[in-house]
Amino acid sequence: MEYLALVFGLALPWALGVALLLALDWPRSPAADGDRSAGSAALRLGYGYFIGALALTLWMHGLSATGVRFDRISIGAPLLVAVAALFAWATRRNRISVAAVRNATSALVRPQLTRWQQWAWMLLLAWLGLRFASIAAEIMWRPLYPWDAWGQWATKARVWFEFGRIVPFVRADVWLSTATAVYFDAAPDNPSTVPLLQVWSCVALGRWDDSAMNWPWLCMLLALALAVYGSLRSAGLSLLGALIGAYLVASLPLLDTHAALAGYADLMLAGIYTCAALALHRWVLRRHACDAALALLLALACALVETSGLVWALTLVPGSVVAVFPRRGPKLVAFGFGAAALVVLAFARFELALLGHSLHLDYQPRWHSLADAYLFFGNWHLLWYAVIALAIIGARRLVRPPLAPLAMVVASGLGVLFIAFAFPSAMSVAEFGTANRATLPLAPLLTCLCVLLWRELTMPAVAPEPQAAHQPAGSDSAVAAHA
Amino acid sequence: MASDSPRVAAQTLASPAMRSLALAAVFLASAALCMLGYLALAAPGPWFGAARTLHWNPKELTVTRGSALQTREGLVITAPDATSTVVIAFNTSFPSRDYALIAWDAAGVPDDIEATLLWFNDYASSRMFRRTLTVEAGRIAPAFVAQDRDWLGRIDGLALVLQGSFTEPIVLRGAAAKPMSAGQVLGDRLEEWFAFEPWNGTSINTLTGGADMQDLPLPALLAAIAVVAALAYAGLARWKPHFFGPVFGAGLAGLFVIAWLIIDARWQWNLLRQVRATDAQYAGKSWHDRHLAAEDGPLFAFIEQVRAKLPAPTARVFMVADAHYFRDRGAYHLYPYNVYFDPSANSMPPPSAVRPGDYLVVYQRRGVQYDPSRQRLRWDGSDPIDAELLLVGKGAALFQIR
Repeated sequence: MEYLALVFGLALPWALGVALLLALDWPRSPAADGDRSAGSAALRLGYGYFIGALALTLWMHGLSATGVRFDRISIGAPLLVAVAALFAWATRRNRISVAAVRNATSALVRPQLTRWQQWAWMLLLAWLGLRFASIAAEIMWRPLYPWDAWGQWATKARVWFEFGRIVPFVRADVWLSTATAVYFDAAPDNPSTVPLLQVWSCVALGRWDDSAMNWPWLCMLLALALAVYGSLRSAGLSLLGALIGAYLVASLPLLDTHAALAGYADLMLAGIYTCAALALHRWVLRRHACDAALALLLALACALVETSGLVWALTLVPGSVVAVFPRRGPKLVAFGFGAAALVVLAFARFELALLGHSLHLDYQPRWHSLADAYLFFGNWHLLWYAVIALAIIGARRLVRPPLAPLAMVVASGLGVLFIAFAFPSAMSVAEFGTANRATLPLAPLLTCLCVLLWRELTMPAVAPEPQAAHQPAGSDSAVAAHA
Repeated sequence: MASDSPRVAAQTLASPAMRSLALAAVFLASAALCMLGYLALAAPGPWFGAARTLHWNPKELTVTRGSALQTREGLVITAPDATSTVVIAFNTSFPSRDYALIAWDAAGVPDDIEATLLWFNDYASSRMFRRTLTVEAGRIAPAFVAQDRDWLGRIDGLALVLQGSFTEPIVLRGAAAKPMSAGQVLGDRLEEWFAFEPWNGTSINTLTGGADMQDLPLPALLAAIAVVAALAYAGLARWKPHFFGPVFGAGLAGLFVIAWLIIDARWQWNLLRQVRATDAQYAGKSWHDRHLAAEDGPLFAFIEQVRAKLPAPTARVFMVADAHYFRDRGAYHLYPYNVYFDPSANSMPPPSAVRPGDYLVVYQRRGVQYDPSRQRLRWDGSDPIDAELLLVGKGAALFQIR
């Protein structure tokens, strides 16, 4: 019975997110294979989980602020009512129907492909199923394992679950000197989203269980794979091409490890950041306000997941500039990159200080370790080899529509990683963790960009035409759209 | 990416099945070429009819200087002699010409340790020959001795000399003499790639992808194979475009996906082995029993006893331990009590911060002294404070400050 409750607990944020997206009529334009395809459904399901999880934790914040204790009724009942109302509303407006669900399922199980492609499709799905099952087994049986998961994140979940509300965590000096009931752990300033998700799993289960509370990590990986599949479909990739893209993302070993050894916030940040960037790419292709709003919402949410999320959210800015101003944007961004490089150079060269804090950056790169991590160890399979090869082959495509905005986002992300690796003190300020963990939020997006670039190189004519931003006549976007 | 459109597929003369076969053939040929190239460089021994690899397990090793313990993990070197030296030796009898490389399977070797290989042979049995070994990433790099002018005749004994500061125990799991034949080198590489990599404390940060040390990382080899195959395929596509399709098409993507699938199969295999290990350790157990079966089971059991002694969870509890892991992990098990621990250093709380009514959990922490007759507790030379001993465990205790 308690496991039924846990399933309900996992399904609720997912259903909430999907219902919200249905109510917003997103994705508005159907995927390239028609409205009856699995593409739109995958987009809704993929984005839906992250949006639902964020909405759930915001609701829990609201409950805690108003003094309402966390329990199944206070959290679950209002959200369940909201889900039912949103689904009913969407059904009345013909945004969902039994036929649509049937068609999406049919497109998943028996897609319209040639025979060998159908074989490849089924084998790839089975392979992905085996991967998700392996990860599920680890989540189900293993008690909370990785260090920071029980040193920084689940500490809060345990206390908040017990007290039924959010209790403040403070730094050591405050804890030692204060007389009030405040708590302490290894990272008291961490955002609350991830612990609240764990609290909800335990509330739904009805008891504390630091294995069962980690099921959301499997949902995150699944949702990320679905979001990537739907995004690649909507960008014009073939059925099999999009599935291969989703597989490449879902098979990244470090990403799988973060799902299997659940408890860190990196996977959720990777999912939300990737979804934000892909929503931006969707907006470039279609110029629907909903896509832009979603990109903005998810970008803002990055900071709610992890401290470094703010930095990652900022890397979306150059891409947005290029998306809004396709002609002048690249020059603006190039100028911005140049200015940033000069600032970093100044920090590295001179002993600058601000309000008594040294801004000096020590150049201490560990390229050998980085090469090991990216190219020779088992963290990323062949991702970085593909990145190097495609950057050489397709550099010109990357600075042109429709990939330029996404490429700018990735370039900013790589710039951030370069600074983090070359100046270790900067890495600790942004709380990036280790090199591989710092790379984790960017890796799925990088994989998607590689797939999209390959498609551009091989079948440019099949790609959806990028749409011009709505700007006054004479503005640069219309020119660039036809460039 | 592959196209779904039958119309596009129909533009080429070859059927998808034929093209897939051609793709697989190109990949296999490229793999064979790359492996042959590697073996030509890395396997200087005879490719056929080579001698078998000789192994010596820890029980065959003798510690002639310094001290060590035989454990299940291997021979654990605990301390050097007065000259900061440890010597591990064993008798052998093999012809030097058949064996080109001597490998020591060691772990936890600090970078500042000087390692030397010693041997003697039947040509000059009164002389001891030596070769300096390289220590990298906590291991001793294999010594390629075939070209050493003193690697002659029959080798009658081998020894490893370690000199330096032995701050942490070094584990020696054995030694091997290898012929460096093609089969042995290939076997070693396969063993490295498919070595089980169980979860450990660093898995969340990095995965080696097999053995900790690999002479030829699998991602690098597969990338090389994919590049060679791509170049070959591009050439074939230019030569017979109707058969192979365009140069930049599904073919090249297919080659990359094959390489990715191969490395992913290794990862999946590792995951399945991990699932089996996790299943054996935890499956079918309750949440409580799973924690007792975990790596920190004894700590969890002690904290459970502590929790039984503590009042409601708002009580303040200080958790101290010498080991960073026990300190943080013990604190985690204590929540939702109001726990304090030092996540960055092995420190005790300042006595001024400890109040009457607080609790102190001590787990394997030196420097904490309790006088039961006077019920006084002190640590690290500070002034004693009043405290009551509530619970005693193996190297652990719970105190209430009064």
